Amino acid sequence: MTESSTNKLLNGDACHRTSSGRKSSKNGFVKNHCSLQLPQNYSRPREKNQNGTHNSSLYKKPFLESFEETPLLVAVFTYMSYGILTIFGYFRDFLRHWNIEKCNMAQEREEQKDFVPLYQDFENFYNRNLYIRIRDTWNIPVCCPPGATMDLGERLTFDYNWTFKYTGKVMKGIINIGSYNYLGFAENTGACNIADVATTQKYGVGVSSTRCEMGNLDIHGELETLVARFLGVESAMTFGMGFATNSMNIPALTGKGCLILSDELNHASLVLGARLSGSTIRVFKHNNMQSLEKLLRDAIVHGQPRTHRPWKKILILVEGIYSMEGSIVRLPEVIALKKRYKAYLYLDEAHSIGALGPKGRGVVDYFGLDPKDVDIMMGTFTKSFNGAGGYIGGKKELIDYLRCHSHSALYATSMSPPVARQIITAMRIIMGEDGTTQGAHRLRQLSENTAYFRRKLSDMGFIIYGNKDSPVVPMMLYMPAKIGAFGREMLKRNIGIVAVGFPATPITESRARFCISAAHTREVLDQVLEVIDEVGDLLSLKYSRRQKPRPSLGWMAEESHLQD
Amino acid sequence: MALGDCWKQLSWFYYQYLLVTALYMLEPWERTVFSILSRVKVTLSGFADAVWRKRRRLVVNEPVQRAGSDSLLISVAGMAVYTGYVFMPQHIMAILHYFEVVQ
Repeated sequence: MTESSTNKLLNGDACHRTSSGRKSSKNGFVKNHCSLQLPQNYSRPREKNQNGTHNSSLYKKPFLESFEETPLLVAVFTYMSYGILTIFGYFRDFLRHWNIEKCNMAQEREEQKDFVPLYQDFENFYNRNLYIRIRDTWNIPVCCPPGATMDLGERLTFDYNWTFKYTGKVMKGIINIGSYNYLGFAENTGACNIADVATTQKYGVGVSSTRCEMGNLDIHGELETLVARFLGVESAMTFGMGFATNSMNIPALTGKGCLILSDELNHASLVLGARLSGSTIRVFKHNNMQSLEKLLRDAIVHGQPRTHRPWKKILILVEGIYSMEGSIVRLPEVIALKKRYKAYLYLDEAHSIGALGPKGRGVVDYFGLDPKDVDIMMGTFTKSFNGAGGYIGGKKELIDYLRCHSHSALYATSMSPPVARQIITAMRIIMGEDGTTQGAHRLRQLSENTAYFRRKLSDMGFIIYGNKDSPVVPMMLYMPAKIGAFGREMLKRNIGIVAVGFPATPITESRARFCISAAHTREVLDQVLEVIDEVGDLLSLKYSRRQKPRPSLGWMAEESHLQD
Repeated sequence: MALGDCWKQLSWFYYQYLLVTALYMLEPWERTVFSILSRVKVTLSGFADAVWRKRRRLVVNEPVQRAGSDSLLISVAGMAVYTGYVFMPQHIMAILHYFEVVQ
């Protein structure tokens, strides 16, 4: 069934009667006849099948993602706990309003109290009454490079997290599985560091100008040719800030009269860039190719909203790895769709560059596709290269256009020289051009660590979201109290994690997000897994209802895992 | 030591209760307020229960105050039953009387 649906998609001959657009249903949407068919998906315990099917002929290796459904009792208790917290939130707000209790949060001044309230919306309520209660698990100051282990500054609170006192003591040797340090370059020793120091001595640290004025250093040119060679594209351009790369360049690429099709769970920088551009934005369900195809067909058939003119351009915004879900984009299908419907593709590889693929070239390398198929390849240097800033790669005409028209190039200071040198050195190591096999070793270590960690965690019975190959591992916690409890218990046992709740995730789906690094050895991972096991039992976090394979028979465990 | 194990198990259950109801995140005086309110609720449910039993001529032996672990369930169940069987019908009948749909 999947074979024939591929053919239907790519040559369109089997599409009948809806191509002319005459037969549209009442609410203005074209009937879907040519879309990727949804087969009967039988899977043990109920999966949230957001992604539909995948055309297996487009993929060279199996694409295994799982998003296990929330158990009902857990969902009920999560809502109940949010209910209790909300009631107490209102109670405390009442006490603060009537001055029975001192208000430590921002308040309007007396003269402004009769105007429109500034702090009555949900975000501020959440901040005052839920976030502050457990905020000692976030923002803990890091006192050393965030490598496989780190040092955290101790801080105490005597008024339930409203204020913190820093004792000056440093907790040493905390294992770090929260930093985006995928290839382990976050270190203060090694070849990168020596090169950085030399560059700082030559150039200094600041640039003191924008790229278009006096901030164009020769090191930027060197970095850009290297990035273009690394990605396999004609030309590349780098920017000082990764967030600004997205938010300032999408407005330069699209404008009014263009359509942006953006994934549901795109990062804030992409959303901001799309909104700033002034284009029409339509959102498709996360990684769901049927939803994307439907939107593309509707857009092409109906055109712009009132005038029905054709869209000037259609831009599809996707990310390589979605950092909150751990899912990898279905790139072969997106490219097939883009070619069929003549749209442009903007791929944000913030987390996947350097972390996926046999040669570390990102999600395009992972799927074995041609980089020239992706129109705009964007990425950041913050995650795998331990730098700062972002890049955009693509055709030479595109990059030349961006050099003149990007807001970031015109107004923002360019990248600092030691950072650029760090990225150049790290990239050369990954490509193997420094003469050692360090790059290949790091890539291999990362993929082994990822596979091992994910397998062990799901065998223990936790609900893990995402693709089997993604180094971002979200482990579901669900209940708000467990976010704080998990962070604190792990820190007591010398492991630093990142727990995320609202507003980065849906309010009832809070999670702990682990980022695997090549700097972690097997022993460190075993230690972490043991501690997670212990804390999971303590907090009863093992929600998964899959059958766990028996640990004694190693090969049989592999088999049942593959069947899953 | 069996008593030590028993105490550990009980404290683990208490910890789970705190986590599941999010009392873990509340300050100690808020937890006291919550438990007082839940005990008041269960007391009222207990009185209602006692009245019902007295009408059926059964003797109430057990103490009115119950352990903290089931008070919430009974409160929630009590509230649901009260809402569904007393509050809603009474007020809907009053509205229907007002609109003269029913005499």
